[in-house]
Amino acid sequence: MADTSKQKLKLGFADNFKVVTLEIPKGEPRPWDADTELTVVGKPVVRRDGVAKVTGKATYTHDIRLPGMLHAAVLRSPYACCIVKELKLDAAAKSPGVGAVISLADVGERLLFAGQDVAAVAAATPEQARAALAAIVVTYEEQPHVVHTRQAMQPGAPLVHTTKVKARKTEGDEPGASRQATQKGNVRHTGSDAKKDVAKGLRAADVVHEAEYTTQVHTHSALETHSIVVRWDDAKHMTVWSSTQSIFSVRGEMADIFGLKPADVHVITEYLGGGFGAKFGASAPGSRLGFIAGTLAKQAKAPVSLLLDRHEEHVCTGNRPDSIQTVKLGAKKSGELTAIHVVAHGSAGIGTGAGVGRNAIGIYTRCPNIKVESADVYTNAGPGAAFRAPGHPQGAFALELGLDELAAKIGRDPLDIRIEHNVHPVRRHQFELGRKKIDWDQKRKRAAELLARKARVLRGVGVAASIWGDFGRKGAAAATVSVGRDGSIEVQNGVQDIGGGIVTVLAQIAAEVFRRPLETVTVKFGDSRYGASVGSGGSQTTSSVTPAVRAAAEKVKAQLAEVAAKELKVTVKDVSWDSDGTAHARKAKRSITFARLCQRMPGEATTATATRPGTYGHHPMKFMGGPLYQIAGVQFAEVAVDSWTGEVTVERVLAVHDCGRVMNPLTLRSQINGGVILGTSYALMEQRVMDRSSGLMLNPNLETYKIAGARDIPKIEVALTEVHTGANNTGAIGIGEPATIPTAAAIACAVFNATGAPVRSLPLTPDRVLQSLEVVPT
Amino acid sequence: MRPLTLIRPQQLDQVRKRVADDPGQRVIRAGGLDLLDQMKEGLLSPQELVELRYVSDTHGLAMRGIQQQEDQRWAIGALVTLSQVANFDGLPPAAKALREAAGSAATPGIRNTATVGGNLLQRPRCWYFRRADLQCLKKGGKACLAVSGENKYHAILGGGPSFIVHPSTLAVALTALGGVARVVGDGGTRELPMAELFVGPKQDPLREHSLAAGEVITQLLLPALTREHHSAYEVAKEKHSHDWPLAEAAVSVQLQAGKIAAATVVLGHVAPVPWKAAGAEQVLVGQPPSAELFAQAAQAATTGANPLKHNAYKVPLSQGLVRKALHRACNIPLPE
Repeated sequence: MADTSKQKLKLGFADNFKVVTLEIPKGEPRPWDADTELTVVGKPVVRRDGVAKVTGKATYTHDIRLPGMLHAAVLRSPYACCIVKELKLDAAAKSPGVGAVISLADVGERLLFAGQDVAAVAAATPEQARAALAAIVVTYEEQPHVVHTRQAMQPGAPLVHTTKVKARKTEGDEPGASRQATQKGNVRHTGSDAKKDVAKGLRAADVVHEAEYTTQVHTHSALETHSIVVRWDDAKHMTVWSSTQSIFSVRGEMADIFGLKPADVHVITEYLGGGFGAKFGASAPGSRLGFIAGTLAKQAKAPVSLLLDRHEEHVCTGNRPDSIQTVKLGAKKSGELTAIHVVAHGSAGIGTGAGVGRNAIGIYTRCPNIKVESADVYTNAGPGAAFRAPGHPQGAFALELGLDELAAKIGRDPLDIRIEHNVHPVRRHQFELGRKKIDWDQKRKRAAELLARKARVLRGVGVAASIWGDFGRKGAAAATVSVGRDGSIEVQNGVQDIGGGIVTVLAQIAAEVFRRPLETVTVKFGDSRYGASVGSGGSQTTSSVTPAVRAAAEKVKAQLAEVAAKELKVTVKDVSWDSDGTAHARKAKRSITFARLCQRMPGEATTATATRPGTYGHHPMKFMGGPLYQIAGVQFAEVAVDSWTGEVTVERVLAVHDCGRVMNPLTLRSQINGGVILGTSYALMEQRVMDRSSGLMLNPNLETYKIAGARDIPKIEVALTEVHTGANNTGAIGIGEPATIPTAAAIACAVFNATGAPVRSLPLTPDRVLQSLEVVPT
Repeated sequence: MRPLTLIRPQQLDQVRKRVADDPGQRVIRAGGLDLLDQMKEGLLSPQELVELRYVSDTHGLAMRGIQQQEDQRWAIGALVTLSQVANFDGLPPAAKALREAAGSAATPGIRNTATVGGNLLQRPRCWYFRRADLQCLKKGGKACLAVSGENKYHAILGGGPSFIVHPSTLAVALTALGGVARVVGDGGTRELPMAELFVGPKQDPLREHSLAAGEVITQLLLPALTREHHSAYEVAKEKHSHDWPLAEAAVSVQLQAGKIAAATVVLGHVAPVPWKAAGAEQVLVGQPPSAELFAQAAQAATTGANPLKHNAYKVPLSQGLVRKALHRACNIPLPE
């Protein structure tokens, strides 16, 4: 498909627009640009599933009940590292209600973390399944373990892996972010991103700031735990209900495991209660859920439901790895940065992927010398997984707080230094916009005054930035649009709605193209039979699926235009559409309403299927040099710190984000609110706590694993800086991940501004704040 | 959790007898909150829960009411919920610390169910204790696992051999106010000051209270409080929607002629029992209240603290809370 046409589009943001000529693939509708006025897209439309969700009508995988369905339970390793010496399933198989029992570990196998699969049963009730687990005879021989990252890095630490490790990849990983690795002990070096020479840059500096920053392990803690229900329809066909953020990855994995054709695996996800990156594929990162449910169902000849509990969810379904980052920054007295050097270690447990994102290498690029080195450190803990902007919040925290400390040493305003070193025109605009909206200069002055007079409650303001790419995918989503003889419009695509509101947005796209009321549009989704689609990862759902839907809708509209031309006795070129979808003959005074027109169509429905071509525009700024738009965002945080108790209150977060063309400001703001809340919770309290001696997680619940509640959440203000990038025919780009990247960093910077003492470890709990104030006895 | 029987006697003596006959298998249920936690965690698996809430004899009435007795003391029933205490404005202003404490615990949903008696007698939240698969000192093991483990939330005062902190928020306020538990047992009714109700680990690491099987708290008594008495409660948490305290302070002072005639300062979540900070009380008594005095008293409040590896922050934190509570109790505005 080399066929393209050159099209001139008005692209840009705020008052910076220009006409850009883009090569657009043939057959692709003319992309919506800054001059396109839309009436449904871009308007605040209430999400379609809101009422069903809040009234409990929505059916989640946890709610699936099938005739004869059995309930599965999994026996998990009780030790951080052990060898299975004996495993006997006979007694369990004879337990009341049991339909099937399988082993998931071999005698002699070395198990690497507490929570690893050992065996599973399916029984008529969940209680019977748990009772049967207790009847399994298993003995283990404990092995030395290491669960803390720093300890695992020491020479002589127990080796976590004795064989080579294969990195696990999902659609949640940032595209293009992985590299070759070399391993020594528990440390796996994954190479570096570098530009010029950091050693030289540091030598050229007048001021060098060097410090170590650490972040914690953060578990995904989606409200709905991992869950899967499998029913064999016959020996070669299977239906799977799965709480997944990627229906087609579940289909592919189940087909692989059981030797089926992908088309014979029917996957349904009507609703899911969150994913955050841990719900790709039929398995959880640390538990073979798809295999377990499918095998039990086959053996028992009955459908099987496998729903994890909260403890399992914490230990074997993924996490955001921790990090230990040594940051070296060099600058001239003027504030001109000469070097950024980050050396990062992090543990994804027994897994890989503990990077620190693109913040240091990609945001303050006027700094000539930059190097980011990273390494995975293996520990005997559940594997990490992609988690909403993998690596980025960790990287942002260390870099941005480091920059503030450097600015303080030089005596420069940290916001000025950021603006001076950032070349993205939209991000520069966002920094300036935020400066005004938050009243930065006044707030910084007040912070200094309170600190100078040793006030009890100190206040501060901080800022941090995000970087992400427009990863909208070519050809991954196939959308079908159909207009019925009765005038109804149907959109079909097998995308799952992770909560971002994609279903509502797809309806808006179709309503816009046909200029028809939203309520005449039905969207069929959440089912592999509705056509291929993308996983909800990489902030790419809206940018991958909306262009396919628009292209399909435009094709249908072109067919309807032919019918109209015939009815109006003009050529297709002379057909125009008004605001209610009525077709007019441009020159003659004839028209036909949409309803009448539909009655005239040749068959029962007019249908077309389309996909999305490769990204064709990236105005005004590329991501990491590639042909993709770089998504910009900045967040400002205001905090109060009680210097007597060390308690941090985040009073306000101003989130300034770029979002391509806004599809729906309501659902967009909700995604940003969610990103800020997640980031606030990460900044203030979330933390997996592992016991060094037993190697067990001490807080595998939602009581001592703390997640921000209503009273912990700041006032969130969202400012949208809409950008027309020419990326695709709807102009949609992603927001899910960018919205959470800078939050914790901005909060940490605000705390530093308030107290004058950096807290270089997340979460910013009272113990650490008091420590930074040097009031804790040693 | 294994299947169990729930029984609902109407006489307190039936409840007491039922449990005393087989304390290993029968457990009293009031609000049932901590009980359910313990059952889900596998720490308890009783055959029978004996409900207190259906007792309808005179004890039952006493357990459900808040009233002032003829001797001027206030009696709060053990089955009264935390919400009822927090919202009951009939209590004298001097008991403010108790209402503040009750209103600060857990969540509105829990406060609507949790009872005063249950709050006092709940088991510790220590994460070593709460994991059924870890054999700690409190469960008959050899050592307190917090000593060399993750001890951020553990005791800085009065610890050893166990380093749990007492989980009851009401106990802190009741101790500060001079509260007394009315306990019904085989020998009749007795009154037990807070200091005698709670048992430290040196006395017995397996338990936190001194009640015998079949003994039941029916009421909590507050001494007659005059207009000279003032109190306040302060708490610090990592999370403000539903969390356990990192530390808490309840203070009660008697102001006479511009001076502090008597003071009680009690710290919570820093010791295995509600911790009376005698050092702070000595600093305060006889002095006119002032910000400087409170700062001095706060310093003295943690005298004898012996932090573990990760919990020394509780020293300045408790001091900060004592200062705040004293400011509010004595009505001296907090510095900005």
